[in-house]
Order: sequence, then C-alpha cells, then structure tokens
Amino acid sequence: MGKRIQGIRSYWNKPYHAAYLFILPAAILLLVFNVIPLFASFYISTLDIGIAIDKATFVGLDNYIEALHDSRFLNSIKVTIFFTAVEVPIQMVMGLVMSALLTKNTFTNKLFRSIYFLPIICSATAIGIMFQIILHSNVGIVTYWVRMLGFGKINFLYTPGLTMGVVIAVSLWRTFGISTIILISAMQNVPSDYYEAAYIDGAGKVRQFFSITLPCIMPAFWFLLMTRVIGSLQVFDLIYTLTDGGPNFTTETLVAYVYTKAFDRGSRMGYATAMSEFLFVFIMIITLIQYYVMSKTED
Amino acid sequence: MKAKLMKIPVYILFITLALIMLIPVVWLLFGAFKPDTEIISYPPTFFPHAFTLKNFTKCMQRIDILRYMVNSIVFSIGTTIPAILVNSLAGYAFARYEFKGKDIIFVIFLATMMIPFQVIMIPEFLEIHMFGMYDNYWGLIVPKIASAYWIFMMRSAFAGLPKELEEAARIDGLNEFGIYSRIMIPLIKPAIVTMIILSVNGNWNDLLWPLIMTSSSKMRTLANGLAMFVGVRTIEYGAAFAGASISLIPMLILYVFGQRYFVEGQATSGLKG
Repeated sequence: MGKRIQGIRSYWNKPYHAAYLFILPAAILLLVFNVIPLFASFYISTLDIGIAIDKATFVGLDNYIEALHDSRFLNSIKVTIFFTAVEVPIQMVMGLVMSALLTKNTFTNKLFRSIYFLPIICSATAIGIMFQIILHSNVGIVTYWVRMLGFGKINFLYTPGLTMGVVIAVSLWRTFGISTIILISAMQNVPSDYYEAAYIDGAGKVRQFFSITLPCIMPAFWFLLMTRVIGSLQVFDLIYTLTDGGPNFTTETLVAYVYTKAFDRGSRMGYATAMSEFLFVFIMIITLIQYYVMSKTED
Repeated sequence: MKAKLMKIPVYILFITLALIMLIPVVWLLFGAFKPDTEIISYPPTFFPHAFTLKNFTKCMQRIDILRYMVNSIVFSIGTTIPAILVNSLAGYAFARYEFKGKDIIFVIFLATMMIPFQVIMIPEFLEIHMFGMYDNYWGLIVPKIASAYWIFMMRSAFAGLPKELEEAARIDGLNEFGIYSRIMIPLIKPAIVTMIILSVNGNWNDLLWPLIMTSSSKMRTLANGLAMFVGVRTIEYGAAFAGASISLIPMLILYVFGQRYFVEGQATSGLKG
C-alpha cells in the first residue's frame, strides 16, 4: 500500500506529469464556466425558455427573426454603435494627447496621472450616484454653473439627444485615464536614441511625435483601440446606474436591453440570448480584424 | 523662456482636467456629511456648511449596508485567494514546463478571453441555477476564480525567472509543488500583489455579476445593493451618498497605498474588458 502511494507520487512528480495536474483546476473551471456556456448559448437561443428550465420549447430561428423585427432591439444596436463610434475615437485622441504630455516621470506628471486614473476605484454605482446629483435638473452643481454661464436650465439626464452625450462624457471621465496610462507605458519603451538622432537631424517635438513615437507605439495603440471598441459594444453598467436606458430608450444599449429582457421584466431567456449572439458576431468580426492587423504589423 | 511660456496652456489643461476628475468624487464624499436640506438647497454648496452623520444612520436604517459590506468582502477576497492559487499554478505550468499539447491548450485558454461575458451570462445563470449555486456565495465566487487574463499575467511573471532555479531545487530534493510554492512564488511577489489588488478592486466594484447571480437582499454586495436602493430617480440623496462613500473609501485607501500596482497591472499585461 505504502509503495503504491509512493508510486503515484513519483509518477505525478515528474515535471511532464505535474504540468497537467497544475493546469487541471483552471482547465475545469474555464471549461464549465466559459466554454460550455458559450456553446450552450447557441442552443438556448433556439428555445422559448424562462427561468424554469424544464418548460423550454424548441422554436428554431424564431427568436432571431423576432429580434430583426423588434424595433427596440434595432434601436439598441443603433445606440450601441453610436456610443462606440463617438466614445472610442475621442477616447483614443485624448489618450494620445495626454500620454504624450505626461510621458516623463516627473513629480507633477505622476500626480496628474494618478488623478486621471482615480475612477478605476469607483464602481459604476458610485459613478451613477455622483453624476446623478451633480447633473440634477434642479440642484446639480453643473446644472447651476451652466445656468450661470447663460445657457439656461438644462436637464442633462432626461433630454433625448443630449443624454447620450452625457453618458459618453461620463464614460470618457471613467476610462480615459486608463488609456493614458497604457499609452504612456508604450511611449516610455521607445528607445531614447531614436529621439536623439531625430533631434540632431533637426526634427521638432511635433515632428518627433508623428515620425517616431506614433509608429513605435502602433501595436499598443491598436490593441488598446480594439479593446476599447469591444468594451464599448458591451457597455451596460453606466447605463444601468445613470439613465436606465432613458429617456425614451435613447440610451438603451444592446446589453442593457438583453439584461432587461432576461432578468428584469419578462424573463425571456431564449430571446435575450439570441439577441446577445448579435453582439458575439460583432465582437468576433472585430477580433478577426485585430488578429489580421496584428499579424500584418509583425511581418 | 519661450519654452516655459509654452507650458502654461498645458498646465491649464492639466489642472482643468484634474478638477473635472476630482469634483464629482469630492462632491460625493462631502455630500455624505451634508444634511439633506443642504444637498437639495439652491444654489448648491460645495463645502458642507453643517456637518452631520445622520446620513449614515439613515442609510443603515433603510438598507442592510453592513451585510452588503460583508458580502462585498467575502466576494472580493473569497474570489481572489483561490484565484491566485488556480491561475498561478496554470501560469507556472505554461511558463516552466514542456508537455505534449502545451501550445494548443494555451491557445484554447487564451481564446476564452475573447468570449464576451454578456454573451454567456444567460447560459451561466441557468447553469448556476441547475447546480444549486444561485443566490449564495458559491455561485458568486466559484465561476469567477479561473481567468485566462490572470493566467496570462502569471505566465509572463514566471517566464522571466532563470532556468537554473528548478534544476538546483530538484537536486536539493524538493518536489514539483514545493519548487512552485517555496521557490517560484516568492520570486514573483510583485505580480501576485498586483493581481490581488486588481482582483479585489475589480470584484468589489463589479455590478453586473452580483446583479445576475443573487436575488435575495441578504446576498447583495455594496455595488448592486446600492444600485438597487438608489435606482435612477432617487430622492434620498444623503443616504445614497453615505452608502456610496462607504463603498468607495476602502478602495480609496487601497489606491493611496497600492497605486503603483494599479498602474502596473494596467500597463504591463494589456487590458481587461
């Protein structure tokens, strides 16, 4: 008996075998909570199913067909794409400008960086509460200042057309510091003799930025851009805490609508899953583009 | 001289942005100590004129904020501790061992990073239901332990260590787990601390996950409990501010002392969601 245990031990103590043991827990967890749900989602999207799993009926592609005729769903896609198309470019330009200005590790630069990075510790809930009050239609400080500047009394959170801009601004407030930090670390990795050579050749700061910095940080820039696009397509928590999709669904993103359909009202799990597959397709397309561009820049 | 003058608009930009970043947070923290009448007074006041702790007692009467706090602690720390073990073990195997199928297994692991949570949240919810893990700590914690993101980060940390280490340790008679736990883990402490801080902060602030995986009020965390209390059209601002401050302050302390790790975590190993 003792010999057998020793045998098992020495078997698993071989590096080759131990490696499998070491990855096993992670492999099981990723399989059960990531891979299986992904494949299950395709099946669930063909079911009419609520929280009671035993009452599921197979409906084929009906959920997908229904989605394409659901004006609220089509609107949510429009809202999501609008949000992404406006937020991400502003975010990238802001990140580039701020990281170029803050690249050097001086005391003041570090101080400003840590201030811009601060929202990383704020939950969407806290952010929602903050901005609800400072943008409040009667007693909000920003509303008050804007009024003092002579723009009249603006209801930032309940004006169709304007509220989406507010959501985008708050989203920028929340994440541009993260983009800045990532681009700074890419810029700091650019070898300094490149700049010295450019300086000797008489290139100014702006010229140096476009001819040296930008090409050198391109891989990091691309990666950030794609991650931001994917993140923006999935935006949910800010919407949930700030506007709840209102007014008039003008800020209701795809994920916000999926959440509402599945968990909030109605509990139509199959239909909500079918809608989320559209998101999956969008994200896959972007991932493929990213993969294609990255493999090209590596050549 | 000209260079110095050029800097003035840059600093104006820096300071304006800094104010935009700070005012909402400071507003919230000050608001927690203002009486309700002052919060809704017009024109609004920035510094509290009257100082009160009433908002905190009111917040405790309205919701079980202490319970939410305990749940947030259990969720964020309870997820982080097993996550360190599971993900560093896998990262270690990918960094330091050669084994059959390593490359393909690693690619599959990485591919799970591309699965958007919002696409699998409904199947995962149904799965958690089936397992009897819905609305309890198991369902909150277990699915969040393994993450390709952390495995990738751990792998990079272990890959930087010299190769002779495990050979020497094997000659000294340490077994494979001993090499990992006694020799290697202490050498990647900065990466472990980074992971702890980012993981605790991420879970503490996570809204969607506890929103989906819990239903009873005794299972709510600060993030989703407060969100459900406040809603979009709250009138109890004082209590909401107090609750939000309670959720913010622990992470603020973590940020003050561990800021370097927050920055490193974002900068070195790419991004999360």
